[in-house]
Amino acid sequence: MSPETAATAPREFKTDTLFINLGPQHPSTHGVLRIGLTIEGEVITKAVPDVGYLHRGTSKLAEVRGYHHCVVLTDRWDYVSAMPNNLVFCLAAEKILGLKVPPRADAIRVAMCELNRLASHLLFFGTYGIDTGAITPFLYAFREREMILDLFEMVCGARLTYNYIRLGGVMVDVTEDWIAKCREFLEYFKPRLDEYDTLLSFNPIFMARTQGIGCISKEVAVNWGLSGANLRGSGVNYDVRKADPYCGYDQYQFDIPLGKTGSCWDRYYCRVSELRQSVRIVEQALDKLPAGPFMATGVAKVPKPQPGESYAHVEASRGDLGIYLVADGQASPYRMHVKAPSFINLAILQELLAGRKVADVIAVLGSIDIVLGEVDR
Amino acid sequence: MTQEDLLSKLAAKLPHLEKAAAPVKDYLTMRMGSADDLIPSAKVLKDDLGFDYLEMISATDWLGAVKPEGYIRNPNPNVFLAEGATPQSIPTATPGYNYRPMFGVLWLFGNIPERARLFLRLEIARENARVPSLTGLFKSADWQERELYDLMGIRFEGHPNLIKILTPEFTQGHPLRKDYVHIKDKYDE
Repeated sequence: MSPETAATAPREFKTDTLFINLGPQHPSTHGVLRIGLTIEGEVITKAVPDVGYLHRGTSKLAEVRGYHHCVVLTDRWDYVSAMPNNLVFCLAAEKILGLKVPPRADAIRVAMCELNRLASHLLFFGTYGIDTGAITPFLYAFREREMILDLFEMVCGARLTYNYIRLGGVMVDVTEDWIAKCREFLEYFKPRLDEYDTLLSFNPIFMARTQGIGCISKEVAVNWGLSGANLRGSGVNYDVRKADPYCGYDQYQFDIPLGKTGSCWDRYYCRVSELRQSVRIVEQALDKLPAGPFMATGVAKVPKPQPGESYAHVEASRGDLGIYLVADGQASPYRMHVKAPSFINLAILQELLAGRKVADVIAVLGSIDIVLGEVDR
Repeated sequence: MTQEDLLSKLAAKLPHLEKAAAPVKDYLTMRMGSADDLIPSAKVLKDDLGFDYLEMISATDWLGAVKPEGYIRNPNPNVFLAEGATPQSIPTATPGYNYRPMFGVLWLFGNIPERARLFLRLEIARENARVPSLTGLFKSADWQERELYDLMGIRFEGHPNLIKILTPEFTQGHPLRKDYVHIKDKYDE
C-alpha cells in the first residue's frame, strides 16, 4: 500500500462565510465609515455599516452656546458643502427670532449655496470616478473646484468652513470685483460640463460598472426616507427648493433632473445634471442681485428669542437638511436636532449591499455620496 | 394642500388627534394622547392620506436647564474675550417656563405629491421612557430611532436592532438628556 501523500490524499472542499472589515480608514469610504461585510465567495450576505467615529456631539454643544456661535458648529457637519448648513441653522433661528432677511442677502445666500453645490458635486464626480477605477476625472474636477473655493476664500476668507451666512443676512457684501470673477468662472465652467460627459458619464467602462447596479425603486427610496439626488435618481420628484421654497427659490427658473431606474448611474447622472441647473441659478442670482443692505437691522449680539419651536429645511448638496430648534427664552437653543441627509441616506446600505458582488460595494457606496461629518455630527 | 384642507381630512380620518397648542412655527402640528395611538395613526397617515415619507424623528427632554457637568471641559470657553468682559453664561432655567419631567417625541411626516408636511407630537414620562417603533411601517425610522435611543435613552419597542449608533460603547448614559453627567472614561486623562 503506497503511503498517502498530499497529491493522493482525498481533498476536502468546504465553503464558509468570511467576515471582512471595510474601513474605518479606507480611501473609498470617504471618511471614517466601517462596513462589516459577511461574504460567501463573491457574494455579500450581510452588510452592517458602523458609524459614529466622527461624532462630536454638536447638538449637545449647541445647548450651551449662543445662537451666533451655533453657526460655527454647523460648518462642521457637511464640511465639503458648508454654506447650506449655515443657511439652514440661520433660517430656523430667524424663524424663531422673527428676523426679516433683506432681499440682497437672500440672493447672495442662493448664489453661495449653489456655488457650494457645484463644489460638492464636483468632489463627488471626481471621487466617484476614482471609486470606479477612473483617475483622470478627479484631476479635472479638482481644477474647477479649486476655482470655486478661491471665490469663497475671496468673499469670506475660508475655503471649507465659511461661517459666512449669519443670522439676519450674510457676513460681508459681495463686491463688483467678486461678481466679475464669479461670472468669469461660470463662463469657463459651462463648456467643461460637456467635457465631463464625454470623459466619464458616457464612458462604456464606467457605464458597465454603474448601470443596473444598486437599483432602488421609487417605493423603497421613499420608505427609507432618502432625499436629494438619491431620491431623485429613483424618479421621485422631490426637491425642497420646489416643494417648500426658501430664500426666494420660487422666483428662479431651474429644472429638477430625475433618474429612471434608481441605479448608481442614475444617481450619478442626477448630480452631474444638477451642475447645469446650479450654474443657471447662480447666473440668475447675480443678474438680479438687488441693491440694499446685506444684513437685517436689529440683530441682537446675544439673541434671546421668545419660547417656541421652529423647523427649517433646505436642499443641501446631499439632500434634505433640516433643523428642529426649541427655544426656552435663554441665550442658547434649548434643543437642536439635525435631520442629516447623509445619515438617513446611509441606512439603506444594509439592504442595498446584500446579495451584491464584492466589486460593487464601492460603486454603490460612492453613489450614495455621504460625508461622514454629517452622518456622525 | 393647505393646512386647513389637511386639518379637515385629519379630523375625518383621525379624530383622536388634536391640534397642538404650541405648534412648530409655520407647520401643522398634531398632538397624540397616548403612545398606543402612534402605530394606528401612522398607518392611516401612510395608507389613506399619502404621508408615506417619514422625514424626521426627534425628541426633547423637557426637564430643565442643561447641566454643565455633562460636558468634559468648560462647555463655553471664549479665548478671544477682551480683558474684563463677562463671558456668556451657561443657560439657566427660565422662570415661568413649563419645565416638566417628560420627553416630547416628534415625528415629521411628508406627503411628496401634495407637498404637505405634518408634525405628530407625543409626550411620555421620563421614567422608563418607551414608545412603539415605526420600523415596521417606515424603514427610515431604523437609524433615527437608534440615534434617539443612544442620545436620549428612549426605548423604541419593536425595533429589531435597538443598539447604540453614535456614541462609543464605553460612554455611559444618554448625553442629550438634560441631567446627563459625564462619567470619566479611559480617554479623559
